Amino acid sequence: MVRSAMSGEGRPPDRHSDETDHRAFTGAVWSIPSYIISGMAVYGGVGWLLDRWLGTSALFPIGILVGLGLARYLIYHRYGR
Amino acid sequence: MSAPHILAAPAGDEFHAPGVELFDWGPLFPGGPAWLDWFTKPVLIVTLSVVIVCWFAYAAFAKPKMVPRGVQNIGEVAYLFVREQVARPALGSESDRWMPFLFSTFFFILVMNLMGVIPVMQLPGPSHIAFAIVLAAVVYVMMLFLGIKHQGFIGYFKNMMFPPGLPKPLYIVLAPIELLSTIILRPFTHAVRLFANMFAGHILLAFFATVGYWFLIEKLTPMGFAVGVVGVLMTIIMTGFEMFIQALQAFIFAVLAASYIAGSLHAEH
Repeated sequence: MVRSAMSGEGRPPDRHSDETDHRAFTGAVWSIPSYIISGMAVYGGVGWLLDRWLGTSALFPIGILVGLGLARYLIYHRYGR
Repeated sequence: MSAPHILAAPAGDEFHAPGVELFDWGPLFPGGPAWLDWFTKPVLIVTLSVVIVCWFAYAAFAKPKMVPRGVQNIGEVAYLFVREQVARPALGSESDRWMPFLFSTFFFILVMNLMGVIPVMQLPGPSHIAFAIVLAAVVYVMMLFLGIKHQGFIGYFKNMMFPPGLPKPLYIVLAPIELLSTIILRPFTHAVRLFANMFAGHILLAFFATVGYWFLIEKLTPMGFAVGVVGVLMTIIMTGFEMFIQALQAFIFAVLAASYIAGSLHAEH
């Protein structure tokens, strides 16, 4: 089992031979934090404003979670495949 | 900070962990003329880094030989490293145009960071956020300028906010995230990542060194002895670890700069 895992079956197929593919791949890992903060800030902010407007208090944390989820989706779309 | 307090000698004064005062440096020549007040230790460190990088680049590349000798050997290995690991993966065939910038950025930050473990210096340059901000701002301005130049003002923002291949309704909710992330948070995280790593690393080193000094030299007690030894050992271990972090942060900064430039030259997809 260990053998088969090490013999290259587990490796992703070599899709980065093309230059443009390669470009999207590198350095991406390190710009993920800005997406996550951005998602939380935008939708946490929307939730906070709605909270103030409607007098509720639950929308701020919900907004943060929604933002996290959307940022996660965006990251997956950009770099995950 | 409770453990050092308990173990500290009962003689009166307690162990104090070092804090942000580590980064407060007055003028290097306190009795000097007033016009020299701006010349502090961080300024000295950054100036020295500039000189070292300039000297290194000059010694390595000013009179290149077909068969490299001495500094040119190191210079060529360093150049190849930056080109293959930093520039090529992001910029591909356009790497060579951006190599002067990426090479000098990488080595400037590397030398500044390594000043944190060099005796007598012992302060990483970017542990003052101003230096990290200026470096990140240069990359940021370049990114915006190149993006608008190569993709047009409208096109740049369109490509940034609407990456192809997403379901149409999702653009409404995702575009604000993209905009905030690229325009505001990119330079912010770029600068803060470098600054925070250097800042925290310096405090950590100073803390363990202070523990060792305090318990072994200032207030030597039978119980404190073991703590002091741990402090010294941790100082040595953390110094090695810090050197790794310092090199890694310089590398990440340069990789991100390359990837931001690449994203501005061509629409990301």
